[in-house]
Amino acid sequence: MTPGNHPIFRKVIPMKEGLVQDLQEIVGEDAVRDDPADLYVYGSDSSVHCALPWAIVRPGTVEEVQEILRYANSNGIPVVTRGAGSGMSGQAVPIQGGIILDMKRLNKILEISPENTYVRVQAGVVDDDLNRALKPYGFMYPPAPASSRIATIGGEIANNASGTRSVKYGATRDCVLGMKVVMADGSLVNLGSTTRVEASGYQVDRLMVGSEGTLGVIVEATMKIVPIPKYRCMGVACFNELEEAGDTISEIIASGTQPSVLELMDNVAITAVNTAIDLGLPDVEALLFIEADGNVKEAVDYEIERMKEIAEKYNAFGIDISYDAEKRTKLFKGRKKLFASLSRYKEGYSCTSLADDMAVPYSRMAEMARKIHDIADRNDVIMTAYGHCGSGCVHTKILMDPTRKEQWEGARNAVREIYEYVRSVGGTTSAEHGIGLSKAPAWKKEKQDSLEIIGAIKKALDPNNILNPGKLQDAPDDWLTATDLRYKAE
Amino acid sequence: MTANFKDLEKWSPELNICIRCGYCYELCPLYKAHPWESDTPRAKMLLVYGLLTGDLEPSQHVAEKISECFFCKNCENNCSANVPVTDIIKEAKAALAEAGYEVDRTASTVDEDLCCRCYTCVSVCKAEAVEPDEDGQPVVDPVECEGCGVCAASCPSGAISQKDGFGVSREELRQLLLDTLRKGAQVE
Ligand SMILES: Cc1cc2nc3c(=O)[nH]c(=O)nc-3n(C[C@H](O)[C@H](O)[C@H](O)COP(=O)(O)OP(=O)(O)OC[C@H]3O[C@@H](n4cnc5c(N)ncnc54)[C@H](O)[C@@H]3O)c2cc1C
Ligand code: SF4
Ligand code: SF4
Ligand code: SF4
Repeated sequence: MTPGNHPIFRKVIPMKEGLVQDLQEIVGEDAVRDDPADLYVYGSDSSVHCALPWAIVRPGTVEEVQEILRYANSNGIPVVTRGAGSGMSGQAVPIQGGIILDMKRLNKILEISPENTYVRVQAGVVDDDLNRALKPYGFMYPPAPASSRIATIGGEIANNASGTRSVKYGATRDCVLGMKVVMADGSLVNLGSTTRVEASGYQVDRLMVGSEGTLGVIVEATMKIVPIPKYRCMGVACFNELEEAGDTISEIIASGTQPSVLELMDNVAITAVNTAIDLGLPDVEALLFIEADGNVKEAVDYEIERMKEIAEKYNAFGIDISYDAEKRTKLFKGRKKLFASLSRYKEGYSCTSLADDMAVPYSRMAEMARKIHDIADRNDVIMTAYGHCGSGCVHTKILMDPTRKEQWEGARNAVREIYEYVRSVGGTTSAEHGIGLSKAPAWKKEKQDSLEIIGAIKKALDPNNILNPGKLQDAPDDWLTATDLRYKAE
Repeated sequence: MTANFKDLEKWSPELNICIRCGYCYELCPLYKAHPWESDTPRAKMLLVYGLLTGDLEPSQHVAEKISECFFCKNCENNCSANVPVTDIIKEAKAALAEAGYEVDRTASTVDEDLCCRCYTCVSVCKAEAVEPDEDGQPVVDPVECEGCGVCAASCPSGAISQKDGFGVSREELRQLLLDTLRKGAQVE
């Protein structure tokens, strides 16, 4: 390797002599890279973090994954598994160097079984590709994270991703039936089953959900699929007060109504999508997207009508309801593009993935939305409240001028204050985007009672600490100095 | 910062606006041919950022990773942050070429021995990348060439070609056609 002279490369911990050749022996010459350009690229994901690996390897078979882990384990080399690198908290950023295990070659759909309502896939299959393949069978893989266009099933399991449809169909963990995992020592284990129910001892497959590559490498997964409903009816409700939208969400859920989508967008989010992609959303304080689905139209109408009534009780207006698939697709597209659109909210500001998702009890939704803006104002940054609120999830982002150091100090305070509030009301650090590096300080506080158990599990499954080391419970206490930032601030 | 890349500094705000979501890459034909993260549009933006901040030293490999592009704009048409990806690639290509690196991998080349100097290529090229040199021989400017292949397809002498390895050379297209026909026959 001929790293550059810049500090970012000098920081690379000396790698094992002959590493690249050893890896090439396992996977072949073309499936290993260590050029500075590749290391630089694979050192980032969608988070604010950046740290360089020593080499990137792209295994083509499960046996190769096993061989790589056997080798890494006996040589004490860190292995950071990577799907699409769409993680927002630095989960796939190799903070201690080592090997990046790029899973995207393991991208085969192995079995589609409509009669058993499951699908068996390799970990590198992209979510949207899976849904495209399921469509002709009349089925879907339901969680639908906004990043479905790129995120891999392995990455979604490792982060317990969820999305617009999780309010009705559950998060990734609710779809996992079984999986094959390569453990730190290279052994291959079968976890879970192919059946919908299982009460056969420890649910070790569930342990892998949300493990962020620290306990094993998921190589294959059996996931629940559901028939695509015949009718989908979507509505958009406008509010002049953010809190009223929040109250609507909690009442819809508490009323036993079954939305298939219940999404919030505040004015910052609305302005951003309208500016960036000209979606023409009404310029109001908050919008709520509501959807009901099912095979009986009258039942769908009934659910939508109930949601509408509740929204109206909280002064919603301009409620536009429609079965038009084209309209729905357009709105969903806008929603999926929200994160990037936020970067266009204000000239000179960028959208950074910080304090990006959390969950609070439904009754706190309205208060949370207001709190986000108060905290942002105090710290001279802009924040937004949006997300799959029907499942309790609230997304924010921090919009700031990333080239100014004091903005980062403001961001650090804002993140701390937000999470103090979330903890105080019994919420959780991450609803779906995972912990990685940037949410680790808050998460460690939230989980302080169970950190010992978590540490013991990690030690038992990965005694040499090779799997994504320095993350979750082992992540640094200050996210801002944990790695280089992907932005240059002065 | 290396003097050569000073001109790229103006893209710094746009590169900060890129949230690195990766929405641009599943649709990139270059990535389909070279499925490494380093071959994605998102990576190109990162590499340019690395060059202009000085984090990354320029090299032939960096030049190739940035400049290999068909300018189809699938990336920027799908980028909700509206990052002008291809404008940035084009200017980075120019800067890298000026610094002495080759940026011609996805560009067309004219075989002088086969060329009949009809200048069809000059008139069909929307990027104005083919010009006759002082001897009247059409030459492709690798910085301006967007690798669209229109010149190669319209050259009556078969004098223009694109390189192997990106799925667009004559031989690769022939193979693709054969495979498709064979697949069709099997289905029958
Ligand atoms: C624009 C945008 C929108 C998003 N919207 C959502 C959303 O709506 N909902 C949501 O939940 N998330 C969302 N995310 C976050 C992200 O897409 C998810 O966390 C996703 O699950 C990550 O998948 P990935 O393949 O990119 O994983 P990566 O980012 O590559 O990896 C993430 C973590 O998973 C581990 N990992 C990856 N593959 C494996 C494997 N095979 N075995 C073991 N560990 C593995 C890695 O080691 C790492 O710790 C969004 C991200 C972006 C950029
Ligand atoms: S260029 Fe656009 S689509 Fe691509 S990673 Fe950046 S923000 Fe996302
Ligand atoms: S313009 Fe270039 S980088 Fe963008 S999608 Fe097309 S080939 Fe890829
Ligand atoms: S490949 Fe396209 S852009 Fe390049 S010279 Fe030919 S016509 Fe012009």
